[in-house]
Amino acid sequence: MLQEILQSLPQVLVDGLTLGAVYAVVALGYTMVYGILQLINFAHGEVFMSGAFIGTAFFILIMGMGWASAIPQFILLIIVLILTASITGLVGVGLERVAYRPLRNAPRLIPLITAIGISFILQDVVRFIAELFNGNYIVTGPSLFSEQITLKASAISSIFYDARFKTSFLIVLGVAIILMVALDYFVNKTKWGTAMRAVALDRETASLMSINVNKVISITFFIGSALGGATGVLFAVQYGTIDPYIGFILGLKAFIAAVLGGIGNIRGAMVGGMLLGLMEMFASANLSLLTGGVFGAEYKDVFAFAILILVLIFKPEGLLGKPTAEKV
Amino acid sequence: MKGKLATFFSNKQLQVILYSLFIIVTSAALYFSQKSVVSFLLLLSSLLILHFMNLKNVTKWIVALGLLFILIPFASSGGPAFQSYMEVATMVGIYISMALGLNIVVGMAGLLDLGFVAFFAVGAYSYSIFATSQASNFMPFGNFPLGGESFWGFLIVGGIMAAIAGVLIGVPVLRVKGDYLAIVTLGFGEIIRIIFNNGDRPINITNGAMGIASVTPPEIFGMTLSFPNQFYFVTLLILMFTIFAVLRMEHSKLGRSWKAVRENEIAAQAMGIPLVKTKLLAFALGASFSGIMGVVFAAKQAFIDPTSFTLMESFTILVMVVLGGMGSVPGVILGAAVVTILNLQVLTELTNWLNQLSLSGVLTIPDALSPAKMQKFIFGALLVAFALYRPKGLIPAKNKIFDVKKLKDHRPDHLNNDTKENSIPIDKVQV
Amino acid sequence: MTILEVTNITKQFGGLTANKDITMNVEEGKITAVIGPNGAGKTTFFNMITGVYQPTSGDIKLDGKSLVGLRPDEVAKKGISRTFQNIRLFGEMSVIENVLVGMHTHLKTNLIGILLNLPFTKKEEASAEKEAYRLLEYFELDHLLNEKANNLSYGAQRKLEIARALATKPKLILLDEPAAGMNPKETKELTEVIKRMGQEFNVTVLLIEHDMKLVMEISEHIVVLDHGEKIAEGNPEQIRTNPKVIEAYLGSAAVH
Ligand SMILES: Nc1ncnc2c1ncn2[C@@H]1O[C@H](COP(=O)(O)OP(=O)(O)OP(=O)(O)O)[C@@H](O)[C@H]1O
Ligand SMILES: [Mg+2]
Repeated sequence: MLQEILQSLPQVLVDGLTLGAVYAVVALGYTMVYGILQLINFAHGEVFMSGAFIGTAFFILIMGMGWASAIPQFILLIIVLILTASITGLVGVGLERVAYRPLRNAPRLIPLITAIGISFILQDVVRFIAELFNGNYIVTGPSLFSEQITLKASAISSIFYDARFKTSFLIVLGVAIILMVALDYFVNKTKWGTAMRAVALDRETASLMSINVNKVISITFFIGSALGGATGVLFAVQYGTIDPYIGFILGLKAFIAAVLGGIGNIRGAMVGGMLLGLMEMFASANLSLLTGGVFGAEYKDVFAFAILILVLIFKPEGLLGKPTAEKV
Repeated sequence: MKGKLATFFSNKQLQVILYSLFIIVTSAALYFSQKSVVSFLLLLSSLLILHFMNLKNVTKWIVALGLLFILIPFASSGGPAFQSYMEVATMVGIYISMALGLNIVVGMAGLLDLGFVAFFAVGAYSYSIFATSQASNFMPFGNFPLGGESFWGFLIVGGIMAAIAGVLIGVPVLRVKGDYLAIVTLGFGEIIRIIFNNGDRPINITNGAMGIASVTPPEIFGMTLSFPNQFYFVTLLILMFTIFAVLRMEHSKLGRSWKAVRENEIAAQAMGIPLVKTKLLAFALGASFSGIMGVVFAAKQAFIDPTSFTLMESFTILVMVVLGGMGSVPGVILGAAVVTILNLQVLTELTNWLNQLSLSGVLTIPDALSPAKMQKFIFGALLVAFALYRPKGLIPAKNKIFDVKKLKDHRPDHLNNDTKENSIPIDKVQV
Repeated sequence: MTILEVTNITKQFGGLTANKDITMNVEEGKITAVIGPNGAGKTTFFNMITGVYQPTSGDIKLDGKSLVGLRPDEVAKKGISRTFQNIRLFGEMSVIENVLVGMHTHLKTNLIGILLNLPFTKKEEASAEKEAYRLLEYFELDHLLNEKANNLSYGAQRKLEIARALATKPKLILLDEPAAGMNPKETKELTEVIKRMGQEFNVTVLLIEHDMKLVMEISEHIVVLDHGEKIAEGNPEQIRTNPKVIEAYLGSAAVH
């Protein structure tokens, strides 16, 4: 059994890293918002999904223009990433204005409910637009970065099988890492990043220190949603086919990743995302093997939720978070 | 003018006369013009009007029971659409009962449960597995399918199974702090569905994605229940039980402890209320109402599969509670009725109507925009609009009004000999 | 007789020592006050007694039985009730319902009784309601019984918190700054109530208060905390003249 697990390990690692990178960047959006508002922005998964659709629309649009086929794929990707991120960033800002800001002093249940409502609205609006233009809400984007590469893991040791992936794997991983490093720099080294951390620590005191709290919150939503949207584009490039409902479960998983890493903690979200992606791929490859065929890959979502529950019970502050006690 | 209008509407006799007229007209319209969905809906709305009327509670209940048990089924029976009206009314009853269950959890105890349909599924599967030959795959003894009389016992079994599921889910979940609860319950809702969906291996218990067909219909006094109008009465009886139970709980020590936990956990604990136990009770009792209706649903459909128990169902029940008014029993009843009718009748009717319009070329609506497909958008918009502008819902929850006279008259015995001066020392202080 | 016995309790939050090695006793029937400058650790001390926080070390005994390790609701059942510095009422519930929640542990009915509305349940509920009303009368809140707790004035909310705490029929009641935010007239009334409360409800009072006039007037025993440590203990006269206390409150300049 061990042998079989080891054989598939290189492929599991490749797939797990791809998925993990997606989780990690989306998890950042959850963690940043939670850090500042102690709010689970349920709609974040939908922002990610909108990003996937907007990105795909741009790809189709640009590549439909004859002269544009001369643009190298990589440049095209960067253009689309920037455009999409800006749009979803603004969607995030609008979301906060409309659905969360008026409720800042409401009972905590209420903003959760608006968040669910916004999720539904986004899903359906995207479905509607996609169906209107495409005839079907399941959309397949142009195939990009699709050369197959084979990782000769068997050359390292004969225990392993080779792993196969598309170039897009490298793109997803590379872009995700760049985004994370940039965000880490922004939060820890810039003026607005410092303001953000101050607001997260203590909103009232921060506002006394003449920090414009509302602006900081808007910026947080912009960055979180821009990252989410950009990840959506990466997702579309990597997996090709998208539908309006990809955001919900993926968003939940990303949230689980954020909790796993320590909610409110930016590096925690990155670690948690990568870890969850790897564990999930490992589980879906080996669950059936490990349980003697009783549980198959279809239980991989169960596995992710089980992780969430275990973390919440035994280490609610997450891997990198600090424990807190409510002041009475 | 306003004053006149007010006196006009507070005049009891006038009210009663107008109300009776309304009922007579709508039920006659329904009886004679069978296709008139509008008159069916108006007749149902007479219950809502009744709620706001200036009558004694007992009177209201008697009128309501009369409407529900006699007039509504009778008025609907005038033609071929009878069964479809009864079907809608039955579904309304099932959803009201579930929404009342969720209301205990979300409205009273303040715990956002996003996986509530799981308990409905537990109830439905409990009956379906034993009322088909499914059970013989794993039961070492017994003869399956069980007969239709077992249905009545399974109402209780389904409720208990759902309550047990509630406790099993609750034990790990309720230790988790507030916000996470929503996510974790959502996860559990999915887990239960996945388990039912894959429960055909290694032992075939749930028949997996294929679902369970030919569920034995209930039987009573040798009569087999299989038509919607028969299930209507079963549902109605259970619903009445649910409403009474929920009202009793609300105004008891139990209901107060839930609300206290919702309002302030730390203070509730300081008053001696154990948090986990209180929340678990809310979970279990809320779940049991859902489980009971799950049994009815399975029997009524005679077929169930995991697609009836998706996340969307959980959200639908949540919309009912939020729309009606969290914590408000009359509100939640209204919310559940409105959403169910919206789902089952209004949206389909509207879709048909629009289809006809486009067929006749009057105007063309893209298929993507057909109302039946817009369910999510409508629910989403309702949730957002209500959370923002009317967070207390259509009929906001009200606290019980205590009657000072009753509280003053008979002091507890040991205080009876207290003179007023003695019992209110503050009077003396004020000088 | 000693009702509450605190021995060497310490509480640390990370690097911060909020309570350090505090030992003190509360005598039954005597009003005891805990005073000290802001951030001295008074509320933390209450939180440990009521089980909201667990002490890092040390022991707390009520009637000789240790409370350490118990949850707040278990402590409440043992007979300790409290109010909160930042008022924690059940805001959406009515005034009388708040008091009724306080009676929770004394209502013996069960689910069956509630669902069937058995005579026993009815009777118990009715007498609880009357008792709750009497408590409201005592605090002059009876005319507000059906009002939402959130809609009450600040002073009335503080009184309601005390009424609710008394509804649990405690042996020991902990009041965390009961007069905070009250006007002088309200404070004066409250002072009288606290004075009489002990006898009429057969309860021992332990309170935190910044209003020195109130503290000196009603306390029989005072404990002074500063920076988490007990710096003095004694009757009002002893505390008034204790140089350490004066220093803690006014800074070292005042002593010399
Ligand atoms: N849950 C907690 N986590 C971290 N630090 C805490 C916590 N609770 C209290 N503290 C800290 O412990 C110290 C003592 O606080 P405490 O509230 O006990 O003071 P206090 O004497 O009641 O002050 P005040 O008169 O202002 O109410 C403070 O520095 C406070 O910040
Ligand atoms: Mg304090």
